[in-house]
Amino acid sequence: MTILEEAPPITAAIQATGVARAFGSVQAVQDATLTVERGKVTALIGPNGCGKTTLMLMLAGLLRPDAGEIRVAGADPRTDSAAVRAAIGWMPDQLGSWDNLSCLQTLTLVGQSYRIPAAQARAKGLSLLRKVHLEEFADRPTRVLSRGQKQRLSLARALVHDPAVLLLDEPANGLDPRSRVELRQYVREIAAEGRAVLVSSHVLAELDEMVDDAVFMSKGRTLGDDAARMVAHARTRYRVWSLDVDALRRALTDASVPFEEAEGGAMVSIADEAHAQQALAWLVGAGVPVHRFGPAGSALEQTYMAMEEDRR
Amino acid sequence: MTTTETSPNPTVTAPARKGNPWLPTLHGTFLVTRIELLRRRPSTKGWIFYGILLAAILGLGILVSVLSTAEKTSTPLELVLVLVLGAGMLIGPSLSATSINGDSGEGVLAPLQMTHLTAGDLAVGKLLSSWFVAFAVLVTTTPFLVYAYARSGWHLGELLLVLVVILFLVLTATAVGLAWSAIAARAVASVSLAHLTTGVLVIGTLVLFAFTAPLVSDTMTETDRYVAWDELSDEQSTALEDAYNTGDFSAVDPDALVCDEETYEYGIAHTERTAWMVLINPLVVIEEVSPLVNPLTFEEDGRAAPGIFANVHQMVSSARIGPTEADAQMMEYDECADIATMASGDDESADGGNAYQDTWEQQQEEQAMYPRTPWLGLGLQVLLLVGAMAIVTHRLRVPYRTLRTGTRVA
Ligand SMILES: Nc1ncnc2c1ncn2[C@@H]1O[C@H](COP(=O)(O)OP(=O)(O)O)[C@@H](O)[C@H]1O
Ligand SMILES: [Mg+2]
Repeated sequence: MTILEEAPPITAAIQATGVARAFGSVQAVQDATLTVERGKVTALIGPNGCGKTTLMLMLAGLLRPDAGEIRVAGADPRTDSAAVRAAIGWMPDQLGSWDNLSCLQTLTLVGQSYRIPAAQARAKGLSLLRKVHLEEFADRPTRVLSRGQKQRLSLARALVHDPAVLLLDEPANGLDPRSRVELRQYVREIAAEGRAVLVSSHVLAELDEMVDDAVFMSKGRTLGDDAARMVAHARTRYRVWSLDVDALRRALTDASVPFEEAEGGAMVSIADEAHAQQALAWLVGAGVPVHRFGPAGSALEQTYMAMEEDRR
Repeated sequence: MTTTETSPNPTVTAPARKGNPWLPTLHGTFLVTRIELLRRRPSTKGWIFYGILLAAILGLGILVSVLSTAEKTSTPLELVLVLVLGAGMLIGPSLSATSINGDSGEGVLAPLQMTHLTAGDLAVGKLLSSWFVAFAVLVTTTPFLVYAYARSGWHLGELLLVLVVILFLVLTATAVGLAWSAIAARAVASVSLAHLTTGVLVIGTLVLFAFTAPLVSDTMTETDRYVAWDELSDEQSTALEDAYNTGDFSAVDPDALVCDEETYEYGIAHTERTAWMVLINPLVVIEEVSPLVNPLTFEEDGRAAPGIFANVHQMVSSARIGPTEADAQMMEYDECADIATMASGDDESADGGNAYQDTWEQQQEEQAMYPRTPWLGLGLQVLLLVGAMAIVTHRLRVPYRTLRTGTRVA
């Protein structure tokens, strides 16, 4: 799409350095640094109250940071919020809609608020409603929508102006399993079009399959390289289940492969998928009765749990 | 529909914009007004409410027209105008006072602030949409307005002017409500504060005017002269008594009468110093732009007899003029001088009364025809409007530096 063609390949869509913001005595965000690349999905992960929403509001240009630098699509939200707004699609964590207006009316009017001509805005609205499976509700008032449906309308609303950057604040909340899977696919599609996506969530298992990068946050701080290393490490962990646990462990010991013992098998470290395939072939070839083989749970979840930070 | 069927992901052209604009734009204001009016589209209950309101207004109109006689009267028209102003000043602020904090609480404000709509667009759009609803009230009263106007003795231009001023006052009240809604976190607080502001302007000013009168009062001394009955001879008393009974003072020798002087003090309020309090009252502003009616010549002038507005204008003018020489003279009572005048036979006994009557009528006419000054009240309203909209626009600008206490952005 046009965005991909126009995008300079190197510059990040969002670049935030040392961002801080307090509400009175509450230091909501203390020191946040993150980069969101075009064409990638970046996760913002952290416990409740760690400042994810506050950080997103600052990125979106709704809240002024007390300190730090933010660039969204090269523009500073403080001085050039118009350019930032044109570039950003924001899906808030709070679900609000105009009760009396229909879904299509809502999207058309929001489109017009971006100065998109009415006919275009309406066509875009229809296509988005179809995309989020709300086309039957196009002419119904938004007050009849269920929570999950409102969530999807909110996603559609964030996309009416084809933004280059998408901020999704806990988008999977209230979605049923099928909608979650669809959301995941949709977000990947959006990223494939060359847009940058920042998703905050605490449904970690889902993020795992959706994101390229992860930024961990705790007590208002982003955990930089440490967390990234932990994720990278967690990504390499594979779990092998064998009908004969002893045979498995013997084979690994004989080949001097380091492993941890685990219920019904072992945990090993494997660099990537190609190596995983080779390892599995080797184990089976060595006569080990492997009946399950795969990544050891969610890498993000492992990292999250390993973080020794408390909820606020 | 067909275009989207063929292209699954239609491209849109949102023009790029720069900077951090906040001034209202025509496109944005119009769009916000439209959104707000669409959102406020009345429900069935709403239509029933409007129906009842319309019926009440029409009912009142029919009642007044049945009760009234055929001669010219401006009272029905004045009633409608006050009703329209009152309804507008209640409805406009009620709607606007929940418009910003309510939207923010519902989570529909921030998504709009993320679009190319400026703070000014949102402010003016919300103001206009609430005001249009109040305007609709005016439209519902039209049938009665036409009837009331027909027999009011007003000219069309005068009516239109008053209507324009009413709409302006309602606009200001609506803007003040909007400002409270931008300041207060809760809808209950902002609605009460909005109505409180209107209340202070409409009732508070009058109360304040009444209570400050003692503060601007001067003490005046006044000397009255009476006949000292005790010191009169029997003949003199009898003659005087007869004279009072018959009205023939020829038998009384005024020079021989003994007179007592009595001096006493009284307070007069220099209301010319506090009249501004009354002049900023919206109801007075309306009255101050409506036509003057001369209480002596209204029939020849083709007017109705002085109605409520004319009487209020007279009271306001009297407050603005303050105490006069004529007032002091009318207060003074000199029995001996009166007797002397009457004894000289220059005039009949009614003469003193006539002079008094003339002064009184002159004063009435002077007060009734005293030039109108809506300017102070209108000036304050302009200040309120501009100030309120400045507050609203400022509070709607993003990125937010401070939030309404106890609220989140989203
Ligand atoms: N408007 C506000 N006023 C006061 N405190 C706030 C406000 N917004 C957020 N906070 C506080 O800042 C912290 C971070 O909040 P938030 O960014 O919403 O967290 P998260 O989205 O990660 O759950 C919390 O402790 C919250 O109570
Ligand atoms: Mg949050």
